[in-house]
Amino acid sequence: MATRTKSGRHGWAAVIRTPLGLSAGLLLLLVLLLAVFAPVLWSHQASAIDTDHLLEGPSASHWLGTDNLGRDIFYRVLVATRQSIALALLATAIAVVTGLLLGTAPAVLGRRAGRLVTAVVNVAVAFPGLLLALFFAVIFGVGAKGAVLAIGFAGAPAFARLTQTLVAGVAARDFVAAARIAGAGRIRLLVRHILPNISEPLVVNATIGAGGALLAFAGLSFLGLGVQPPAYDWGRLMGESLNSIYVHPAAALAPGVAVVISGLAFNLFGEAVAKGLGVESIGVTRYRRCSEDSAQPEAPTSQYVVEDVVLSVRDLRVTFLGPDGPITPVRGVSFTIGHGEAVGVVGESGSGKSLTALAVAQLIEPPGQVSAERLDYLREPLLDTPDADRRQLLGTSFAMVFQDPTTSFNPTKRIGAQLAEGAREHQGLTRQQATTRAIDRLRAVRVPAAERRAGQYPHEFSGGMRQRAMIGMGLMGEPALIVADEPTTALDVTVQRQVLRLLESIRTEDGVALLLISHDITVIGQVCDRVLVMYAGRIVEDLPATALATGARHPYTRALLAAVPDLDTDLEQPLAVIPGRPVDPGRLPSGCAFAARCEFADDRCRTEDPELETQLDEGHRVACWHPQVVELGWPIRMGQR
Amino acid sequence: MTISSSQLRTTGGMATWSTHPWVRFGSRRLARLVISLLALVTASFLMIHLIPGDPVRSALGPAASQSLVEARRESLGLNDPLWVQYWHFLRSLVTGDLGTSITTGLPVSDVIGDRLPATVQLAVAAFVLAVLVSVPTGLVMGVLTRGGRRPRAELSFTSVSVVLAAIPEFLLAVGLVYLFAVKLAWLPVAGRSTPASYVLPVLALAIGPAAVLARICRVELLSVLQTDYLRTARAKRLPAATIYLRHALPNAVTATITLGGLLLGGMVAGTVLVENVFGWPGLGSTIVSSILSKDYPLVQGVVLVYGIGVLLVNLVVDVALALLDPRSTIRES
Amino acid sequence: MADTNGTAMSELTFEQVTVRFGTGSRALTAVDSVDLTVPSGQVVGLVGESGSGKSTLARAAVGLTELAGGQILLDGVPLQHRSRGPRPLQLVFQDPYSSLDPRMTIGNSIAEAVPRSADYSRAGEVARLLELVDLDPERASAYPAALSGGQRQRVALARALAGRPEVILADEITSALDVSVQGTVLNLVRDLQRQLHLSMLFISHNLAVVRYVSDYIAVMYLGRIVEFGPAAELLGDPQHPYTRELLAAAPRRGALALDVEELDPALRAVADAEPADPHHPPPGCRFHPRCPIGPLVRPDRELCQTVDPTPDAGRHRHHTACHYAAAALQAVDLVQ
Repeated sequence: MATRTKSGRHGWAAVIRTPLGLSAGLLLLLVLLLAVFAPVLWSHQASAIDTDHLLEGPSASHWLGTDNLGRDIFYRVLVATRQSIALALLATAIAVVTGLLLGTAPAVLGRRAGRLVTAVVNVAVAFPGLLLALFFAVIFGVGAKGAVLAIGFAGAPAFARLTQTLVAGVAARDFVAAARIAGAGRIRLLVRHILPNISEPLVVNATIGAGGALLAFAGLSFLGLGVQPPAYDWGRLMGESLNSIYVHPAAALAPGVAVVISGLAFNLFGEAVAKGLGVESIGVTRYRRCSEDSAQPEAPTSQYVVEDVVLSVRDLRVTFLGPDGPITPVRGVSFTIGHGEAVGVVGESGSGKSLTALAVAQLIEPPGQVSAERLDYLREPLLDTPDADRRQLLGTSFAMVFQDPTTSFNPTKRIGAQLAEGAREHQGLTRQQATTRAIDRLRAVRVPAAERRAGQYPHEFSGGMRQRAMIGMGLMGEPALIVADEPTTALDVTVQRQVLRLLESIRTEDGVALLLISHDITVIGQVCDRVLVMYAGRIVEDLPATALATGARHPYTRALLAAVPDLDTDLEQPLAVIPGRPVDPGRLPSGCAFAARCEFADDRCRTEDPELETQLDEGHRVACWHPQVVELGWPIRMGQR
Repeated sequence: MTISSSQLRTTGGMATWSTHPWVRFGSRRLARLVISLLALVTASFLMIHLIPGDPVRSALGPAASQSLVEARRESLGLNDPLWVQYWHFLRSLVTGDLGTSITTGLPVSDVIGDRLPATVQLAVAAFVLAVLVSVPTGLVMGVLTRGGRRPRAELSFTSVSVVLAAIPEFLLAVGLVYLFAVKLAWLPVAGRSTPASYVLPVLALAIGPAAVLARICRVELLSVLQTDYLRTARAKRLPAATIYLRHALPNAVTATITLGGLLLGGMVAGTVLVENVFGWPGLGSTIVSSILSKDYPLVQGVVLVYGIGVLLVNLVVDVALALLDPRSTIRES
Repeated sequence: MADTNGTAMSELTFEQVTVRFGTGSRALTAVDSVDLTVPSGQVVGLVGESGSGKSTLARAAVGLTELAGGQILLDGVPLQHRSRGPRPLQLVFQDPYSSLDPRMTIGNSIAEAVPRSADYSRAGEVARLLELVDLDPERASAYPAALSGGQRQRVALARALAGRPEVILADEITSALDVSVQGTVLNLVRDLQRQLHLSMLFISHNLAVVRYVSDYIAVMYLGRIVEFGPAAELLGDPQHPYTRELLAAAPRRGALALDVEELDPALRAVADAEPADPHHPPPGCRFHPRCPIGPLVRPDRELCQTVDPTPDAGRHRHHTACHYAAAALQAVDLVQ
């Protein structure tokens, strides 16, 4: 909703600028112009009876031939535009107004009356529109008036349902509650807060609905239930000439084509508007795997010996093609993870930390592209390994834990089966063996009554239990690395502790390395050996967790530490704040990305981007022109591990 | 002692019985069906009474004598108080008596029994065809065009399906008649005599819904491909076929069934138009001719049958969804 | 009416407040007989995990949810939820992206909350309030889309203040914000509270955040208040085992609270227990299935499984709803 509104008025202009929107708009305009002017210009030609040319085929004087009274079909189709369009719009107006009244009634009336209206709409909406239209056509009688009312009322339930859904969606939002607390009455809530926020989808659907009404009207007229002679609309023209389709097909097909074209004009315009006002997508981009990295693995450059390295990443980049050229949310990230080591990546939303994790896990889907000078897992260069081999390697030795355990399990499959299927695929276990292993793994992650729970569906698990099962899924093979992307963010603090404790014990007992992604620097500090601080797609500092307390050098790291209150924060001092906003990856400044928010920034920071370089002591890298060396200006609150 | 323990068992059994999710689902769904049916029956009863003026007079025409109109009103029971008429209507409905057609004098139930099979054949054949074509097409298109791949294929698929979906059944029917019956003379223009005569009506009824369903299928698949659990499946490094068939398909199909059910309901109604183009001897042509001839008892009966058909389709869809999605029933408990 | 710049804020009291959702077997008692007082001019922090009922309590206070029992008093007078007119209680919501109408300028959103009977100009009041929350009054004509999350939350605060409320309820107002912005909002809340002597119920799942702004802290578990006391005292000397659990899980740098290896199996099982299902709260003390000093660890404490400690809470320090509140101290010390 927020994005939809952001596009606001300029969104409508954007609709017209798309090729689809433009052509649909022009088509619609043409149809409407015809509806206004065709009868004025050509009604004489359309009704002129020419007894010399009865039921003739197309000719120079009659482009589409003539009907059984010798009237020109081309002009009749043009003139019928007004009748067809006007009646359709009238019917749409009835549908929209009735639908709006019924749809907003529950919000205005009391609870009981509202429920009754909802129930009526629910019953009515179960029946197809055409059936309702026939029903109402019986009541209102055969003829144009009856058909307008019939199609209008038949369209009302669907529109009422739509309105109800939209109203309920907006009414549940906090700003409506806030207005209620501020003392706004029901009518004011509806007029000032709810209706403006649902107007766009309503307009879009009314437009599409007008297309539907046009077709429905043509249908009724075709059946002889709509417009009655001597008046005529497209449906009537078709119905009249159906019997002579053998001798004179054009007479039957021409009005049909007119109906389809105008119906499409309404539909496409509605769809284009819907698309234009909807959420902006990243844009249609083409799939292309980036593997320009031909550099062969060379001698290791890090401080770790080669046998101990689980993951080695150099110059990792993730690129998406945006509407204004490529966006690179991860720009040249380099790090290594040793055997059994716990490395934390911390950063705000948009810093590229999660994309880094996904890129390492080879889970970036097109249109995203991953490139790296080196991306070695257990000494296999992942970007150059054939697909099948890579799947086998990662399938057995690599575990991934996602942020939201609620959405990360397939809701339609049992937990046990979801754990088992990877092992059946990669380890060649039978169904029986894999299930046994799954139950064993659930036990290992301390899921109580593992055997019973393996047979349950994800929604029968609590959040913490699901996250444990997710970790258990990673342990089905023999992982050398667990990548956990915000594994505790969606969980309560006490449960969060349980999950972190579980990860910690797996690491210490089985020597599994851990790459933990989190926005919470205290979580990272508690669990990890080493911390990578990311800002705007780069690592700005890489330091031992023990040095977080006193040794952080980068102004951003220091600000992050100071901004988060903990149980030892000085209550007399205001909390430190980082001015400004995080950088938009599509609009990176030149120089250091943090410069605009940094109190130490100078001209050099604003022009030259600092490299991540080793500072003073081994194992501590900083990307800053002015690394801070002074002790942090507040009491040291960090204990030693 | 024995009594009390058996009583305990009974009450315990009762408790589990009434709280069993399927029982609760079934009873709730049944209640909804009954309410909808009642609404349908009441609406079709009221239909005649909502017509402005005297339905008998308008049915018999202005030439009919006043005494004839009166006699017919009396025989139809239209002079009784409304609630008495309603009661008679309900009572005769239960016995399968839908009244007598004004124009032909035949029992309405006989006319419907005569015409119904043709309509059901048409609707079912069209639905089966639409599903068999559209669901695989939509899913394959979804897989091929995921993540913005093959933009040209996507564009042509979308535009073809949008155009096909925008053409109403009767227009399509006329177009098909022109092309295959008039121009090429491959198939009969109308009637229901040979197997070949089924082809055009079924096609005319199936194409539009198939286009809509294929689009929906593709969109559903694409949205399932975006979910976290599909990422989890990829993180398990499963082969692509397993990911699509075991993880994506079941989840994409549940939403497709919901919309497919709506379309089937629409197809039941769509038979009205298609039957009229092809002179198909079904309920659709009956209802139109009876509306035009103001044969209200017949209209009433056909509306009821169509309505019940739609309600049954909805019921089947709901049950299918409950069977397919483990959350839908168990969540209630 | 209270003077926003004056001193006469008021005391908010919850008396045996109960809130229920749904009926039959799906009924859920979100708030169960809660007694809580927000003293005049003081900030009460309310902590608890999701589903504990803390937000429901706030929504009930402003009339967004109906009470199933008990009453809510302002200065000893029961609140009447009028459908019109100014409300003495104002709520600030968690998500500033949802709590501001995207179709209204922020100035109009604030003006809407200014009482109609006010004898001052609305425009002037909007400008004054925007300045109060450190926003440029020129931005009154901006739409929410043009503002960052932190700025929106400040607008939401200004709107709450526009009603010249006697009590402000802040529901998780920093949890939707990025860490770098969270500090700004917390600082503002503290400044405003001190400047305007607001009475305030500050709800958060984050104990460190609550600690930073509160004079008193109330701990909520499964619809009940289990401990209440002055902030420093409660944090320094927690009585209820659940409070201790929360403290242990709260961010405290470096102090790694993850060591479990040495725990005996019973303690470990309790530490790994699932949070209870609010639809089916455990009998007796609701915390007993997760309690490290409860019946699952100490078999002699069957009392916890049958007898609700809430009625006797008044006898313990911090109104702690725990049969073994005093003994809790030693036992947990041994564990940790």
